[in-house]
Amino acid sequence: MTKNVTTRVSIWILLLVVLMGTVLSQERARWQRSEPVTQPDLQLFHSPLVIDLPSATTLQKYDFEFEVSHRFIPTTGSGIRDFYGLDGPAHIRLALAFAPSDHMVVKLGRTNFNDNIDLWLKYKFLQIRHPKVPLLLAFKAGGAWNSYPEYPEISQRKKSDLRNFQAFGQFIINTMIGKRLGIGLVPSYVYNTDIRWGPETDDSETKDTFRMGTYLQFYVSPLWSIMWEWSPYVAGYKSLPGQEYNPMSFGIELETGGHFFKIFLTNSQYINTSQYLAGADIAVEKNDWRIGFMITRLLKFGKK
Amino acid sequence: MKFFKIIIFLMIYMSLIVAGEYQVDKDREGNLVKFISDAPMEDFEGVTEKIDGYIFWEGNDLLNKNEMYFEVDLNSLDTGIGLRNRHMRENYLETDKYPFTHFTGKLVKAEQEETGKYNVTAEGTMFIHGVEKPLTVEGTMLATENGFRIQVKFITALSDFNIKIPQLMFFKIDENMKLELDFFVKKVEQD
Repeated sequence: MTKNVTTRVSIWILLLVVLMGTVLSQERARWQRSEPVTQPDLQLFHSPLVIDLPSATTLQKYDFEFEVSHRFIPTTGSGIRDFYGLDGPAHIRLALAFAPSDHMVVKLGRTNFNDNIDLWLKYKFLQIRHPKVPLLLAFKAGGAWNSYPEYPEISQRKKSDLRNFQAFGQFIINTMIGKRLGIGLVPSYVYNTDIRWGPETDDSETKDTFRMGTYLQFYVSPLWSIMWEWSPYVAGYKSLPGQEYNPMSFGIELETGGHFFKIFLTNSQYINTSQYLAGADIAVEKNDWRIGFMITRLLKFGKK
Repeated sequence: MKFFKIIIFLMIYMSLIVAGEYQVDKDREGNLVKFISDAPMEDFEGVTEKIDGYIFWEGNDLLNKNEMYFEVDLNSLDTGIGLRNRHMRENYLETDKYPFTHFTGKLVKAEQEETGKYNVTAEGTMFIHGVEKPLTVEGTMLATENGFRIQVKFITALSDFNIKIPQLMFFKIDENMKLELDFFVKKVEQD
């Protein structure tokens, strides 16, 4: 009797062990994805600059960007004699940007007009990943030093005179419709629009100007796009001699893995921020334009 | 007594047939997925450490019932330049639609080259950019203290995965991408 009970218990234990082994041997992998997919920083416009106006696009952390820009002073109206302006002379800007973070860019540039040296910071502070109307908000703020003003009336002024310094701020609002049409609004302010004030000119006031920068950029393909920008006057000082008009530019952009090539027509011969915000020198109605171009190259030093 | 011997034997047998799972050791430094583009004008490579997945098999035989799944987070690939990363994500890999690439397959060959080192072959399917293709890859598995280090190299054609690269005189990407994977898996403890 006892032997029968022992045998039955043993059989049950054996069955249990075999069953456990069978069950465990059919276990499946338990791996499950434990991290969400990486969310890259939201960028809308491809280039940090449209033509003169900035987009909210920033560089990747530790990227450098070198820029060379030209605005040919003779206009297209000069015809073949000046090769539609390309014979020059030209206003030239060289600049280098650096991104200390994915959201911030610092840029130092110089143009040969007034030997204007500008330094500014752009910071992207809001990203809204809406599927139809994504939004980026950024600001750009900086200053400029006209280290060698070309105006005869202030030629005796010291280079370091405070009146040679300007400041500017721009609030950047960008959206992109259907991944093709970029739209931007850039309320812009420049302080000390005209540096020619003081006893030399019997003018005792600093001036400032407020413009509403606007632009559109349509991305025809991953490589090509067309863009247009306009910065109408809103308030402040408007009648800077020789720069009474609202700047307008339009052109094409070609991008590669590390370059942007832009060629455009503009009614302004000025490049640096404090200078183009002061105004353009040709009325759009005259339909006489200057040729300009910009080439930027992204650079990375050190570890890839 | 004989009964208990049988039980002990069964326990040992069970320990052998209990499923073994090795998952990518994400806490360990050194996981690397790299692609290399050898284009005439501009060579570049993209790297990420964001690989995840598992190898699962029964018993100690590497070729016994086994399966593997590994995936790479394509949004994390870094070519060194932000704009190029963006082009890669938006224009070529379309990572908003296909954020991961993955390989599903099994080991079909394992030869021990030396103690703790195996030359292995895996067969399966590779998924990139919405396209699945059969793929056979060869690599090595090196035993570590708690799992394996896996190293694999292979070449894949972008056109096989419907990835179109615009041809431009000063910007070209190699049609054949060299892929190199070097990562660690560790054994997952059974509950």
